[in-house]
Amino acid sequence: MKKVILVQRNEPGSDNGVNEGKLAELKELARAAHYQVVGVLTQTRYPDRKYQVGRGKVDELAVFVEVSGADKVIFNHQLSTTQIYNISETCKCEVIDRFNLILEIFASRATTRRAKLQVELARLQYELPKARSIVSLLKKDERPGFMGLGGYEDSYEQDVKKRIVRIRNEIHSSCKSSESLRSFRHERGFSLVALAGYTNAGKSTLFQSLVKEGTEVEDMLFTTLSPTTRSLSINQRRVLLTDTVGFIEDLPHWMVDAFRSTLDEIFLADVILLVVDMSDPVEVIRQKLVVSHDIFWKRIEGVEIVTVLNKVDMVEPDDLKRKVDEISYLAPHPVLISASSGDGFEALVDKIYENLPQWDRSRIALDMSEESLSMVSWLYDEGIVHSIDYGEQIVLDIEAREEILQKVSKFNIDDHRVLS
Amino acid sequence: MFSIIAVDISGRHKIKDGYYMVCAAVALEVSASHIESISQTAIKPFLSPGPPDVLAIVNIIEATVSEIESSGPIIVEKGDLYNRPEWISKKMFSRDMKYQESLSERLAIEFAHHISLSSRKLLMKELDIE
Repeated sequence: MKKVILVQRNEPGSDNGVNEGKLAELKELARAAHYQVVGVLTQTRYPDRKYQVGRGKVDELAVFVEVSGADKVIFNHQLSTTQIYNISETCKCEVIDRFNLILEIFASRATTRRAKLQVELARLQYELPKARSIVSLLKKDERPGFMGLGGYEDSYEQDVKKRIVRIRNEIHSSCKSSESLRSFRHERGFSLVALAGYTNAGKSTLFQSLVKEGTEVEDMLFTTLSPTTRSLSINQRRVLLTDTVGFIEDLPHWMVDAFRSTLDEIFLADVILLVVDMSDPVEVIRQKLVVSHDIFWKRIEGVEIVTVLNKVDMVEPDDLKRKVDEISYLAPHPVLISASSGDGFEALVDKIYENLPQWDRSRIALDMSEESLSMVSWLYDEGIVHSIDYGEQIVLDIEAREEILQKVSKFNIDDHRVLS
Repeated sequence: MFSIIAVDISGRHKIKDGYYMVCAAVALEVSASHIESISQTAIKPFLSPGPPDVLAIVNIIEATVSEIESSGPIIVEKGDLYNRPEWISKKMFSRDMKYQESLSERLAIEFAHHISLSSRKLLMKELDIE
């Protein structure tokens, strides 16, 4: 396990709690990337153009690196190419920033072709503005080209741009295929439920508990990169439950774009389960919910949201009540659960069922024939058969989507459909 | 269910000799994700020779909201108050206000925006300005 030192520069006059939260998240991220954190350095000052933190602090960092034997230094800020160069020259070790770290995590967890392309695209987009200066710094002693004007710089930048275009095209075509898969699932009578929420809120544990199936669950961020989908039955309705990559604070826009197809799993669902970690301080929960609403805004088109208030077993009952009251205006259809102990699961399943797309109920009568029996079999596949009576005719009480009921409407024996 | 008053101002740009603005305030009952009911709307036109500063915007909003009978915090878009931090904006109002947060509050602001925009279009047509 590689040893790392974390560095954070705090803005003068900024809130201590917020700064501590940022540092805690960086620690979690480092842990998720399998690093061993051997030390933390913080400094309160305005950014330094050459080093991000002060020159003295970088010297202190260099001594710290030597003493602790750290392999890497991770800054909790975006660093310019010059800053990375200057700091690594002083500290004599690799220096990365928060976004490199996130990209490393994504790269290590990416398993499918699409996820790998997304990571590559995000990395290239991050690298593009720096491409010229990276080459310039690396080749500063051996300027190529006529009069040493630096022929490498342009070609490398062009190369990065070309790769971005190629990867975008590939991702675009793979997004199309997943959308057609989604419509196929809808046609097959599946309703789509997606798990959303911040990293480490307990989505994977909840997913595993709901499906009762072993997926990789660890107390780590980004356990699930590739969308994982499983089918389950909720009060006889067939549902596809999708576990998605969690939201992360301060995710830059180029990263959000690159992971859009992962977020699509959330936006195209019928019901979204927004998982919230109730063990967080109430202000943090509120902030995370506001960002979640911001992400959903204009993209979910009236999809129902069920707010799953998770980890309630880690909060005192009085404290829990206060927190629930304070966030109620941001929590549609709240359900209190504990994904690890299983408390509140029945209420959650009922809440999911209530919010699934409405199905209608109808009674139909079919003549006894081979064709009718195959239709009965088809109806069992497409909807819920509440009762079936084999007499002179086959009388069925069925609940299904509007399109299915329309196909069998000529066999209807009720004057009007009863809404389930 | 929560009572809120969503506010939006249209026309914060110069046309000929001034700023022809229309402010719309809508009193609503909302849940966390949906608008449940609308109880009242108020529309008020304003003309200013110069660009409105923050205090002028606050006065416009307060004047429009004073015509609403129901209670509840005023919900305003952050950009309407020139992206001032919420704690500063709160101190400028005589009643409770906050920036939009939930989906329903965003929907309510959008609703108020449609009212103010269409009212302003009618007004400009009537005045034969645009």
